Amino acid sequence: MSSDPAGTIYDIQGFSVQDGPGIRTTVFLKGCPLRCPWCHSPESRRFDIQLSWQSRRCIGTAVCGLCLVSCPRGAIVPAEGSQSTDTEDGLQLIRVDWDTCDDCGLCAAECPAGALSMWGKRYTVSEVVDRALRDRPFFEKSGGGVTISGGEPLSQAEFTLALLRALKENGLHTALDTTGFAPWAVVEKALPHVDLFLLDLKNMDGRAHNAAVGVPNQPILENARGIAAAGGKMQIRIPVIPRFNDSGGNLRALGKFVAELGEAVTLVQLLPYHALGVPKWERIKHDGPILEATAPSDKKIGELKAILEEYSLTIQVH
Amino acid sequence: MQKLGPVTARIAQMRELVRDRVIAVDAERALNITESYRKNLLVPPIIKRATATYDVCSKMTCRVEEFELIVGNLGTSFLGSGVQPENGFAWFYEEFDGGKLWVRDENGVYHRDDMGTKLSITEEEKDKLYSIRDFWKGRTVSDHMDSWYPDGYEEWCAIGASSYFPGMPIGDLPSGHLTAGYPKIIDVGYAAIRKQAEDWVDAHKGNLMGADVERYMFYKSAILACDAATAMIRGYARACHQKAQGCPEAARRAELQKMGDGLVWISEKPARTFWEAVQATVMYQLLLYMDARYPALAFGRFDQYTWPFLKADLEAGRITMDQAHEIVDAFLLKANCFYRAAPPFLNEIVGVGNTYQHTTIGGVDPDTGEDASNPVTYMVLDSMGRLLLHDPTISIRIHRNTPEDLWERAIEMTKLVGGLPLFQNDEVIIPALVERGFELRDARDYSLIGCQEIVGSGNDYPAPNGTLCKATIHYGVILDMALNNGTNPFNGRSGALKTGYLYDMQSFDEVKAAMKAQVEYFLGWLVTMNNYSEHIAMRESPHAALSISIEGCMESGKDCVCGGAKYNSFGGTATGLATVADSLTTIKYMVFDKKLCTARELYDAYMANWEGHEPLRRRILNDVPHFGNNDPYADEQMKWICDVYYNACGRMHSERSRIYKAGLYGAADHVAQGAHTWATPDGRRTGEPLADAASPAQGRDLHGPTSVFNSELCFDHRHFLDGIALNLKIHPTALRGAEGAAKLRDVTKAYFDGGGMEVQYNVVSADDMRAAQKDPAAYHNLVVRIAGYSAYFVELSTRMQNDIISRTENVL
Ligand code: SF4
Ligand code: SF4
Repeated sequence: MSSDPAGTIYDIQGFSVQDGPGIRTTVFLKGCPLRCPWCHSPESRRFDIQLSWQSRRCIGTAVCGLCLVSCPRGAIVPAEGSQSTDTEDGLQLIRVDWDTCDDCGLCAAECPAGALSMWGKRYTVSEVVDRALRDRPFFEKSGGGVTISGGEPLSQAEFTLALLRALKENGLHTALDTTGFAPWAVVEKALPHVDLFLLDLKNMDGRAHNAAVGVPNQPILENARGIAAAGGKMQIRIPVIPRFNDSGGNLRALGKFVAELGEAVTLVQLLPYHALGVPKWERIKHDGPILEATAPSDKKIGELKAILEEYSLTIQVH
Repeated sequence: MQKLGPVTARIAQMRELVRDRVIAVDAERALNITESYRKNLLVPPIIKRATATYDVCSKMTCRVEEFELIVGNLGTSFLGSGVQPENGFAWFYEEFDGGKLWVRDENGVYHRDDMGTKLSITEEEKDKLYSIRDFWKGRTVSDHMDSWYPDGYEEWCAIGASSYFPGMPIGDLPSGHLTAGYPKIIDVGYAAIRKQAEDWVDAHKGNLMGADVERYMFYKSAILACDAATAMIRGYARACHQKAQGCPEAARRAELQKMGDGLVWISEKPARTFWEAVQATVMYQLLLYMDARYPALAFGRFDQYTWPFLKADLEAGRITMDQAHEIVDAFLLKANCFYRAAPPFLNEIVGVGNTYQHTTIGGVDPDTGEDASNPVTYMVLDSMGRLLLHDPTISIRIHRNTPEDLWERAIEMTKLVGGLPLFQNDEVIIPALVERGFELRDARDYSLIGCQEIVGSGNDYPAPNGTLCKATIHYGVILDMALNNGTNPFNGRSGALKTGYLYDMQSFDEVKAAMKAQVEYFLGWLVTMNNYSEHIAMRESPHAALSISIEGCMESGKDCVCGGAKYNSFGGTATGLATVADSLTTIKYMVFDKKLCTARELYDAYMANWEGHEPLRRRILNDVPHFGNNDPYADEQMKWICDVYYNACGRMHSERSRIYKAGLYGAADHVAQGAHTWATPDGRRTGEPLADAASPAQGRDLHGPTSVFNSELCFDHRHFLDGIALNLKIHPTALRGAEGAAKLRDVTKAYFDGGGMEVQYNVVSADDMRAAQKDPAAYHNLVVRIAGYSAYFVELSTRMQNDIISRTENVL
């Protein structure tokens, strides 16, 4: 193993209080093999570092315009009127021609306002560990630690495994927030270094699953069973997506499956769909569709919770 | 989670009145004190003042309302305020003569409604106040100080970089940022204090040698102060008894009778019951308010000095917990009635709607060092929560054995009220006080006053805002001047110290040297003026009513103003040092380390208030590391400026005190200071607020509370014994459920273990606040906190509202 492998990370968040026990630092890895339309962080889908354009931050080409001359491919052009709706009146904004852009990042380096910026940055394992260790007193007081999330962290297997090992060597609690879509061989290697899996389960209907997110659910379910059999601990996270997986039938099937995993599952969380991913999606080169829908009602969530409770599971709504 | 019980109907009624308060200004106190002074013009000030206090107290209107079980009124109305012409009262006449602020309604009543501070005065009372205007010309305390100044003062104050500005009266507020000796008043009583004074006076009759004259006059003034208290409290006893006679309802009649009897008792003797202890506390507070316009009289450790009485009552079966809780409700509401008329500029600085009667709960026992929380501790938290009060400011003292229950209730109150309580760390503060010369027992008994200031309880004359409440230097301006050869770019005024121009400075060390020199120059002047005015105040403005309760004064025969207290110190504050630190980091990063622009380019850009330089400004905002993100590159400059300030304070002292304390707090002053501070190199524009107290600059901390905490720990908190205010806004979603509360507790514990002195949390969302801006009526209860104080959001100026909204939200 290379001594200090690097991975592509798009955010490191301190005081993370909803991704596992206690106060945590969550490391978000870039890239995911799934294409869930409801994704709340669409900037995490692609594996490579990519350009983001946030009109709200642009100060206008009249006073700035640095990006216009910085792009070697001519992918940045002055915007036609409609693009400036998001910002104060009267600013001449820009438009990125996403088909021409190759994410070289030259414009982002020039943009003084952070309107053009790059999603993703390479970090070595030791850089991430150093960052996490600064918050160690907060972890210790609260029973927290580090959560590795994504994207799909197991897709950057070498980096994630090395990071997990390094965190454990420093005595930190580790959680792995995963879609579960990874070869068992990778999951197996991660197992000894993961104190808690935060595992997404979406739909027990394999065809519907495949049609919506582009991968089958079978490997995910098998990994869940494998983790349970190997003595791993899991929190199961179920995103509740209108008209995709919010039927009573699906929840019953999920409930049954999770119940069979037995004591490995410490908690089941329902994560109601929200539309906060949409504004992020608008800033990047579109890569797969995005769902814009109304959030499920509290009543609906209550009903689904009641169904799961029939299987003697501890349920938490987020 | 504990469910908060309902309040009684009369408490609910009082709550409504307090929330909608319009303070009726009246002339009663002003006329009484004027008459008294007229009679005693040439009597030595220490006697003249105490006599005036006696005259005011024995003639004042004493009220008791239908719904009251704790009495005491500042003016002739239930929500009234007398005024204090004796220190300096020019602001009132200026406001009326200016003709803009006060608007006359159809009933002939004038209203002042700026920034939500609602004052009113009738034509008749206004005319009475005008009738004494001429008498006070040349006779106020401030006139004594303003008739002559040390050389160079006028030039220095014209710079506009401190609490001093041209034409201002420098002594119009007395000192009086402290915790008075409430336990002494309750436990000893006025008669015994009076007797102590009288014994000395009798023993020295016709035999005053050496310094005896000073002591003799002090003890005479103490006797007058005790008599003033007795007379005033008897007045309230009479009011209760009279009200009882006319009361048709038997239970209330008996209650009023009992209140009257109790008042007669405590007018001289120590309290016997919980009610008497609480009422005696309020009566003493009122005595002090009648004595002078002390700006920040803190109630101290209310739970500690009242609990023994409640305990005894409970054991004797004299009271139920619900009855006791109603008394605590009534006490806190009464504290909210003590809101005194003040000029609008004071509101700008200290914030609206705060009575500055900081109340401290929790902490350790002075003798054992064990946890000292008791049922009153919990009652105070619950009352603030169930009444949704943001005032008085509540500090909870945290130590390593603070019970989990108390943590839970304190965080529950944070969620309900927003910003309260302030969490104070005993483990940092107590050892720091001992290092500063406090006996361990007294250090363990510390309390908080004003915004944030740490003081001894009833034994300390701490003058944390300087002797006459002029304690701030505007560090944003100082920075601008340091880089502009000693000239304030906001007004073109220059100081005597020339430190060169940024564009001529060859190294970052030169930049720092310029800043350090200006800090020392300004602090030297600030303390010079403090020491000059204190010298005059010792003669012109002694405080007998205060001295009778402060440990050391009765023992030494010396007024607390003259150094009679057991502990003496003074201090000041530097708000917004993060703005200075970020500016220094900007210069280091942009000019010297990364060479992204020249010093000349940076200087020209911010001297033009960034006009025409927006790209550079944005690059600074985006690329330069900022304090509050746990980035050592940025935190280094914060530590540096904190150390420079602290070390400069170490050289300051006065006639009364060797100790000058540094502080990092400042209520709303970062907004007021920012309004007249030119643009700064960190990208801040002219007029924008400075960073708030010890907090990171608004919107620059991007990585949540753990990173803010780690950054804050870059400097030594024990150096800042005048207090530190760290204001963290937490999004409500971070606090959902019991788990969220536990995480807030744990993050606080870890910060305190690391050496953090104080933190306060504001649990509101920006959306709430924007909605509140649009629909103030619907959000009347929305309370927010700005370092060291909290207020109804809708009562704040729009500028301040916008400032709060712009603060970083610690979103998940
Ligand atoms: S990232 Fe894209 S738009 Fe920006 S300079 Fe490179 S090619 Fe042009
Ligand atoms: S460089 Fe950035 S701020 Fe300037 S015009 Fe381009 S996008 Fe806008």
